[in-house]
Amino acid sequence: MAKPKISSDWLCGCAGCHMSLLDIDERIALIAELADLRSTPITDLKEPDEEGVDVGILEGGINNSANEEVARKMRERAKILVALGDCAVFGGVPAMRNFCGIEEALKRAYVETESTDESGAVPDDPELAKMTRARALQEVVPVDVHVPGCPPSADTIFHVLSELAQGRRPELKDELLHWH
Amino acid sequence: MVTLTIDGKTVEVPEGTTVLNAARAAGIEIPTLCDHPELTPYGGCRLCLVEIEGARTLMTSCTVPVGSNMKVQTKSPKVLAARKFVLSLIFSERNHFCPYCQVSGGDCDLQNSAYELDMTHWPLIPNYSPYPVDASHKYIVLDNNRCILCRRCVRACGELVGNHTLGFEERGAKSTLIADLGVPLGESTCVSCGTCVQVCPTGALIDRWSAYRGHRVDLDITQSICGGCSVGCSVEVLTRDNNLVRVEGDWEGPVNGGVLCERGRYSAVSEQRERITTPLVRKNGALEPATWEEALAAAAGRLQNREVAALASTRLSAEALYIFKKLFADGLKSGLVTTFEEGYTTAAASELAAARGAGFEGKLEDLKSADTVVIFGDDLTVEHRVAGFFVKRILPNGVRLLLVDTGANGLDGLSDLSLKYEPGKEVDVLRGIASAIIGKEESLASLAASTGIDAQSFQQAAELLKAAEKPVLVFGARFVAQQPQALPTLMDLADLTGAKVLGTKGGANSVTAAQYQLDSPFALNGHQVIYAALGDEDPSEDWVSRLSNVPGLVLQASYVSPLMDKADVVLPVANFQEQDGHFVNLEGRLQTARHALQPAADVRTNVEALTGLAAVLGVTVDDGWQEALAERLSSVAIAA
Repeated sequence: MAKPKISSDWLCGCAGCHMSLLDIDERIALIAELADLRSTPITDLKEPDEEGVDVGILEGGINNSANEEVARKMRERAKILVALGDCAVFGGVPAMRNFCGIEEALKRAYVETESTDESGAVPDDPELAKMTRARALQEVVPVDVHVPGCPPSADTIFHVLSELAQGRRPELKDELLHWH
Repeated sequence: MVTLTIDGKTVEVPEGTTVLNAARAAGIEIPTLCDHPELTPYGGCRLCLVEIEGARTLMTSCTVPVGSNMKVQTKSPKVLAARKFVLSLIFSERNHFCPYCQVSGGDCDLQNSAYELDMTHWPLIPNYSPYPVDASHKYIVLDNNRCILCRRCVRACGELVGNHTLGFEERGAKSTLIADLGVPLGESTCVSCGTCVQVCPTGALIDRWSAYRGHRVDLDITQSICGGCSVGCSVEVLTRDNNLVRVEGDWEGPVNGGVLCERGRYSAVSEQRERITTPLVRKNGALEPATWEEALAAAAGRLQNREVAALASTRLSAEALYIFKKLFADGLKSGLVTTFEEGYTTAAASELAAARGAGFEGKLEDLKSADTVVIFGDDLTVEHRVAGFFVKRILPNGVRLLLVDTGANGLDGLSDLSLKYEPGKEVDVLRGIASAIIGKEESLASLAASTGIDAQSFQQAAELLKAAEKPVLVFGARFVAQQPQALPTLMDLADLTGAKVLGTKGGANSVTAAQYQLDSPFALNGHQVIYAALGDEDPSEDWVSRLSNVPGLVLQASYVSPLMDKADVVLPVANFQEQDGHFVNLEGRLQTARHALQPAADVRTNVEALTGLAAVLGVTVDDGWQEALAERLSSVAIAA
């Protein structure tokens, strides 16, 4: 049997979940034995294979039109879509801005910061992705496996990867389940 | 008794028991959020839903009383699905994003409930409406965004503290926790007892001091008591790496049942005074650091062959007070060995106990069943505040409150009748009330003239007491310390009305000091040196002035104070959280304080300091503190 193919990507997050993934340390060799690691932010391949992958993992919520595109592509190409971390599962820290709105958040970030002089302006290049409310992954695409945590612990991630690599749906309980 | 089946298990419980408590009695756990053992059932969070055979819908087990032959399912698929749905609704209603919440990771009942149901997410889009945050209070931050509308805080504020500061405005999703009629919490009628923070299941009410300093699982928890006053509340002292994080009321506490007052909860954490960390000896006019050996030798040198007067704090443990008495009264034969309270808070009761040949005071518990409470000369909103909570919390049950005081009293607004009298006329006040009760109206006019209370008010007080079936008379020191006959006359009134009687006393160990006869007035008469075992007490301005002209002073203290200006020797001692010891509260309950913190290397406990001094002075001390408590008849029944 061919090894299951796993792809990952990051959206509106902080890369912390992928850092936590690297915290599984030498166990990543076990995963590599069991699965075929395809496109990830830390491998050369940048997009999931057109012919599809078995597992697609997304870190981060959906914050703009570019995130949305990446998420939809991953959803289309992955049999199982995993939301990795609180931003992907709930919206996470970026969702704090939803309480004040995009305009306020952009103004605070680009105009009102203490280090910004009077020339500060919200970027408006037409090439830029269009900002949206920070959303959990499940608001945009159907999600099969939710892995909360900010970030999920290395043990949680290893459990999820090893279960998926062996063709099982991971169940999170007790120590492996945490939302912070 | 009612018999019912819960999850197939037959359970027998008294009629009126809720299904939730019946399940608990049977060892079946039903998750809850708004439920709290010390509060009345509310049925607001809906997490405790159970399936009851024949019922149209799922029922909240916390509010449904058991019925005969009821068949209850607590873990059916329908119930489990409902619980997840209820939690999903709560999570999505406001800002319940865990990563940036103070209580996340152990101290959040909401998060823990989700974990118990193995919830990895909630399937609803959150409502991103912001709600008000109120950070105006000196100890508490109120964040409505984290609120789940369980109203535990509202019930605690009303039912346990009797303060009714917290409430809700608006309805449904707009419901907002407010203080009074919508004023900032810091400017409200809040009495800063912190009970609301202790009962909050989420991060909606957080403690400023201890926020982000660790969860209960990270902290060391020491069961102890509060040394703030004679009520003797049980506390849990939460520490981390020998740092005080916060103090909480112990729900199992026999006296307080979980509540604390501002002093009990916050005085230790907000302590601003500077510690004395090394012994000091005055040399060439200035206090210089010294070793304990040098300091004890210097203290002994000041005390030997002199007329010594000795003063101790009533915050000292029974052990320390006993050694203090052995050392100064028995060892150095000083004729003036007393406390900073000088017996003011206990002497009248001790004398009356001796005269009657028996104790005569009741228990704080009596307040729970009282139908009428009379408070003579004590403002329970200032001192002995938890006793004040006990009074305030029973008032909504129709309990009548009569205040007798010389000036404004914090409970005036809650009283049915508040009598104000001329100080020094306590006996006449009591006679006036008694005369009105027995219908001796001819004497009322003169008693009215003497006390400043008009005859009609005496009549009203009499009516209240005549109608009472379970009256309790609470007296403060200032009511019975002025006139020797005040307390005997108060007891006459108690006998006349069938009332229970309770004195509020003073400090944490006032009763112990009374038992050791450390209760005489501090009348200096040619004394050459004063030994002041101040402990961690803050000396009053009055004491600073009274001790400003003494010829010599040896000070045993935890904190820098103006008394040091006069001291020849200063022995640094542990504070209340740093030493073990026993305390007798106002109703005679013998309780144990346990150390939660280690003092600095050169700081000793009060017992060690006094024992060390006794050794240098060649005085033998023993550990007979407990037997000595019984050497004198007490006005209260002293027992563990």
